[in-house]
Amino acid sequence: MARIIGGIGSSHVPTIGVAYDKGKQNDPAWAPLFDGYKPVAAWLAEKQADVLVFFYNDHCTTFFFDMYPTFALGVGASFPIADEGAGLRNLPAIRGNVDFQAHIAESLVNDEFDITVFQDKPIDHGCASPLPLLWPHQPDWPGTVVPVAINVLQYPLPTARRCYRLGQAVRRAVESYPEDLKVVVVGTGGLSHQVHGERTGFNNTEWDMEFLRLLEEDPEALTRMKHADYVRLGGAESVEQIMWLSMRGALGTGPLRKLHQNYYLATTTAMTVVLYEEGEPVARQAGQAAAAVA
Amino acid sequence: MNPQLEGIEQIPGTYAFDLRISNRTLKINRFFWNMIGADWRARFVADEEGTMDAAGLTEEEKALVRARDWLGLVQHGVNFFVLEKFGRVVKKTNLEIYAIMRGESFEEFMKTRLVPDAR
Repeated sequence: MARIIGGIGSSHVPTIGVAYDKGKQNDPAWAPLFDGYKPVAAWLAEKQADVLVFFYNDHCTTFFFDMYPTFALGVGASFPIADEGAGLRNLPAIRGNVDFQAHIAESLVNDEFDITVFQDKPIDHGCASPLPLLWPHQPDWPGTVVPVAINVLQYPLPTARRCYRLGQAVRRAVESYPEDLKVVVVGTGGLSHQVHGERTGFNNTEWDMEFLRLLEEDPEALTRMKHADYVRLGGAESVEQIMWLSMRGALGTGPLRKLHQNYYLATTTAMTVVLYEEGEPVARQAGQAAAAVA
Repeated sequence: MNPQLEGIEQIPGTYAFDLRISNRTLKINRFFWNMIGADWRARFVADEEGTMDAAGLTEEEKALVRARDWLGLVQHGVNFFVLEKFGRVVKKTNLEIYAIMRGESFEEFMKTRLVPDAR
């Protein structure tokens, strides 16, 4: 049986891709960002994850507003990384496991989550910006991706609650696949940022920390928030954090153990990566161990 | 009114991109979206006015494009994520576009950031 072994929340800032391609990993302004991903990449390598389910958003690259899917799942053995106006990046195509992707689509639809399916399309920085920080790509990616694109561009967007429920449905889909696959769910976007209008450059670190606390301890509270609440608290484009709720939904209703967190607000986006496993929080475990010793 | 957006009009300097706006601005958004194609980019660079005509832009929209009026384009209803594709073609970085939308010089804007050297 396939199973979910962990979850990752990550920003997907396009500039991360630009800095990566320019080799800025040791640049003092960028090292705190790249170093913050190393423990997550090491964990993925150690656990030998087979599949990353990516809850991400297209930035009007794969799809245009003349037909913009609310939820769309990619099926294909290979997805080229998109040209977004600056030419092609020197990265191999994203790999896919068609049978697993098709199973997830079937399970979701039979579970009344009537998702759009796309094939043979390029994928943009929503997925491709964090991917090389999580997985090595030379000579090729070590596993496959299930791309799940969520509309966070053209209102009406799916509600925060609907995104959470999508994650729960994806969990049921993964756990009904007969082959032994180790799956990690990834929610991308955020944290606080706004990149349009006079309010561009808005950030709110206090809210970012509260969002992370609620995501871990009380995700239901986040599902009750309206899009306008996310926009007001974290900036217009931070509404994409509803995609982290899909990741959270896929991790089940039990407690989470946060293994790593890195938060780096350099210019306009609070670039964040967090790694979770299911189980009792580390602090509580440590407390119990101390109590046992005493 | 979309109930999920209740109160959004009270947030300054913010323009929610919804279906009514998208329907009104589909042509100019498609004009910018097409910048993901190398052929369209080359055609635009060679003949800016011709590509705007071919895309069916209004006179008001053409003036906004000619002026590289980033904030004006957003206020007109262009989605930022197609606008940034245009930025790549006319060699403006996102940080430079952000500064312009805020009405600041690039240097002024970067001084407001926690890591002004991050480019």
